[in-house]
Amino acid sequence: MARLLIVEDEKNLAKGMKFNFELEGYDVDVAGDGAEALEQLLAGTPASRYDLVLLDVMLPGIDGFEVADRLRKSGNFVPILMLTAKSLPDDVVHGLEAGADDYLAKPFDLPVLLARVKGLLRRRDWARGGAGEPDRARIGTAEVDFRNFQVRSGEQVFQLTLLEAMLLKLLVQNAGRVVSKGEILEKVWNVNADTETRAVDNFIVRLRRYLEPNPRFPKHLLTVRGAGYRLLPDA
Amino acid sequence: MSVGAQLSSARRPKWVHITMGVTLIVVAVALTVGWQYLAASSWVGREAGTLRWVIYFLGTLLFLLLIGGLTLMVLLLIREVRLNERQSNFVSAVTHELKTPVASLKLYLDTLQLRDLPESRREDFYRTMRQDLDRLHATINNVLNAAMYTDRPVVDPQPLDFAKLVRRSIDLTRTRHQLARAAFTYQGPDSLRLRGDAEALETAVLNLLDNAVKYSKEPSSVQVEVEVSANGDGQAHLRVRDHGVGMSRGHLRLIFNRFYRIGREVRRSHTGTGLGLFIVRSVVKGHRGTVSADSAGPDKGSTFTVTLPGVLDEATAGDQPSTAHG
Repeated sequence: MARLLIVEDEKNLAKGMKFNFELEGYDVDVAGDGAEALEQLLAGTPASRYDLVLLDVMLPGIDGFEVADRLRKSGNFVPILMLTAKSLPDDVVHGLEAGADDYLAKPFDLPVLLARVKGLLRRRDWARGGAGEPDRARIGTAEVDFRNFQVRSGEQVFQLTLLEAMLLKLLVQNAGRVVSKGEILEKVWNVNADTETRAVDNFIVRLRRYLEPNPRFPKHLLTVRGAGYRLLPDA
Repeated sequence: MSVGAQLSSARRPKWVHITMGVTLIVVAVALTVGWQYLAASSWVGREAGTLRWVIYFLGTLLFLLLIGGLTLMVLLLIREVRLNERQSNFVSAVTHELKTPVASLKLYLDTLQLRDLPESRREDFYRTMRQDLDRLHATINNVLNAAMYTDRPVVDPQPLDFAKLVRRSIDLTRTRHQLARAAFTYQGPDSLRLRGDAEALETAVLNLLDNAVKYSKEPSSVQVEVEVSANGDGQAHLRVRDHGVGMSRGHLRLIFNRFYRIGREVRRSHTGTGLGLFIVRSVVKGHRGTVSADSAGPDKGSTFTVTLPGVLDEATAGDQPSTAHG
């Protein structure tokens, strides 16, 4: 069964969540602050020790944004569901840009929390190429392996985050067609289509670095002004 | 975008304003000096008439006024910026303090509704919910008290027993935090009567004791010394000393400000709203008393001292000091 790490300094909340996820059959650990969480996540064992992290933002010492940021920078791409009392659109965007994969405001409904975790794990499986899904793609000279979220481009191997993998998968599935920014926000980020954020553009820039021989003059991953993005694998 | 970049961009605007203000002051000073130099050099070799002197001094005076005004504005701006920062920290802290117990209550309520639980588990959950409710109640009280207690003098001071009030507060704090008897020591008279607002003073004392517990390092090692005394000067003294996290010199005066909390709110290490000590100061000031903090530094504990005037029947209070636990 999937392993979860709950990062929450409020003992009552942590206890209640652990209790519920254990009843659902998950294997659950709790970390009381950011430093402890990073220690548990970056411990010597394989990087994918946990299947998902529930991350509170307001933490003593190292806050949730920084935990997410450091985790990503150290090459750990475990899906992160961010939980926080701050629920302004700015905070949501900030969280997603720091590396969270999904976002839930406190107070939350228990069934929603359980569904979100399930959904995030399902999205990860989809991106990895679950039942009937393509698990490989070739874009120009680059080779994408969705099973381990890796892009091989010549000698170089890049590790994709869950969101990067999902974005690429969405573009691969719609190869040749223009995919709008709103559709990407809804399907990949799970937020409203008209959310104001540069997150998508930033991700496209990153994907180009992995896929394009010359990222400044893209041939495969094109911006269609005012409409969205189009992937041309064989250009 | 990295987190660091986000934070610095949020911080930039106010520094722009302050730098602009300081630059204006520098320009005004340069203009003053330049004008004086020009005025003086154009008069070299000529006879200085009364009119020239009047113009010279008037000009200098106006320039100095300009500089003074600008300096004042920049100082006010800095104050405003600081208050703004504290206020946004406060909103953040209150949001957290209100939403966390609500989130927890909702989670447990959902759990009780969704799952079929054995009686023992349900009892445990009820206890947890009770804790959350108490916390929510305390935060609401704090916010209301901060609005209610102002520096204005107490309207109708009544005789009250301050020593008894302090001991009762100790008992209440001990129960609230489920602490051992030895966590608090009390030293002082059995009775010390003064005029004041009993409810307000109890709120203040409870806030001080609560802080002493909150900023102790471990719940198991809480050690708070409470001392009440009247030294025959018509004033009552209360000293609350903890062996907790302490603070650096720079924070000692600031902590009594409204919304002031040490550190950044997103990295909160302690619960609270930044209102507790502000309430203490307001209540004490309303009694024409004083409150001060002292600490030998971080990790070296803190001592809070409250002095209240208006002690009644001094003779009985001063000459029977007793030591009691509790």
